[in-house]
Amino acid sequence: MRRMILPVMILIGIYLDSILFCRLNIGGIRPDTLMAVAVSAGVLLGSMKGGLLGLGLGLFMDVLFGKFIGLSAISYMAAGMVGGLFFQKFFADNVIVPAAVAAAGALLKEHVMMLAVALNGGTFSYGAMLGGYVLPCMLMTLALEMPVHVLLKRGLARQVHAEHRSGRA
Amino acid sequence: MRGLFQNKPFVIMLIAIVLLGILAFATSGERSVTWLESTVGTVVQPVQTFASKASNEIIGFVQRIFKTTDADKALEQLSVRLAQLETVEEENERLRAENERLKALLNYSEISSDYTLVTASVIGNSQGIWFDVFTINAGRNKGIETDMPVVNADGLIGRVTEVGATWSKVTAIIDSGTEVSVMVERTRDIGLSRGTLDTGEVHMLELYFLASGYDLVPGDVITTNGMGSVYPRGITVGTVTEVSRSSDASTSRNAVIQPSVDFSHLEEVMVITGTEAEEGEE
Repeated sequence: MRRMILPVMILIGIYLDSILFCRLNIGGIRPDTLMAVAVSAGVLLGSMKGGLLGLGLGLFMDVLFGKFIGLSAISYMAAGMVGGLFFQKFFADNVIVPAAVAAAGALLKEHVMMLAVALNGGTFSYGAMLGGYVLPCMLMTLALEMPVHVLLKRGLARQVHAEHRSGRA
Repeated sequence: MRGLFQNKPFVIMLIAIVLLGILAFATSGERSVTWLESTVGTVVQPVQTFASKASNEIIGFVQRIFKTTDADKALEQLSVRLAQLETVEEENERLRAENERLKALLNYSEISSDYTLVTASVIGNSQGIWFDVFTINAGRNKGIETDMPVVNADGLIGRVTEVGATWSKVTAIIDSGTEVSVMVERTRDIGLSRGTLDTGEVHMLELYFLASGYDLVPGDVITTNGMGSVYPRGITVGTVTEVSRSSDASTSRNAVIQPSVDFSHLEEVMVITGTEAEEGEE
């Protein structure tokens, strides 16, 4: 059952990000579930696995729901890989580090999107978007990352243990 | 710095970011969907359709929680039977609302007998507020092609930008990169509507390029003018809510338009696949 935690979290994340949070949000502000999953996977399983998972998730979302292919993939992959920089480098119960990485990932993703909109001819006030949308979304992703990380850590405990052992060897 | 470039994961990430950036740039223009994208979408589409319908129930549940008063809660706890009746009533209400939406669509399709329409459900949306793109559960299997206009009973929604075997992506007119050639119904003045980037649930359009000395008042209805090959003439786009007067009319907006379609609650849409005249010719 525990082996299924990552696929289940991914499916829930896709559902939340593509359907539910699009209809149920606070003035457009919503957390990024898949970002949280990619970062946690990176922190728990290492840069390569986190990056690959992020890349896969990002491409999937871009192909099915995005306007340009690759935009979400850049951010998810980078966040997964940056999460992997903390692989085996902090106490296992620490959720602050993954939460901070997820927040940074959300910030990166929104800026990548913002840049794409600007290059596509969209006009907006950077300050208004940063304060009114990007930062609140970042905080929500930060908050969401904590329970996501705890759940994934429990579900992937055996795999994480194996990674630790191979890391030491 | 050299140490950084000897870090294998970092170099891989950098290369991947560059490649993905190129991919994003390459896919920013008009293009057709690859077989891989089409297959992925086709596999996922039934699940998405189911999940999309299920989310209506979840949203209804959440709304019920916030709308229910303490007295209602107490009553619910005291009377199981009443709760059951309420559930049935809510189900009826949902069905009634769905029925009304479908009736409105049917009514529209009867009124717009000039067009051949294909009805589809919205099964997913792009993340965030940056792009207003959504996915529908109709594709090449229903005769959908790129650039076909998408409408509902309230007016113009957007156009099809990508088509898979059983799904399509629609870019809404409120997307900040989308422009529609429009006219003021009362004065027949021609202009261009453009999507804006808005936080929150309020989606607005901006009207540009009206001829100097334009006569425009709040409440004026804006419709498509039929120029270009995408949108047919006479589809309602929205209503003018704010008029701007500027000395340099060519560069600044002339008005703000409230779209006639409620983009926050899109569930069913219709794709105009052709006109009756075209079918007659065939």
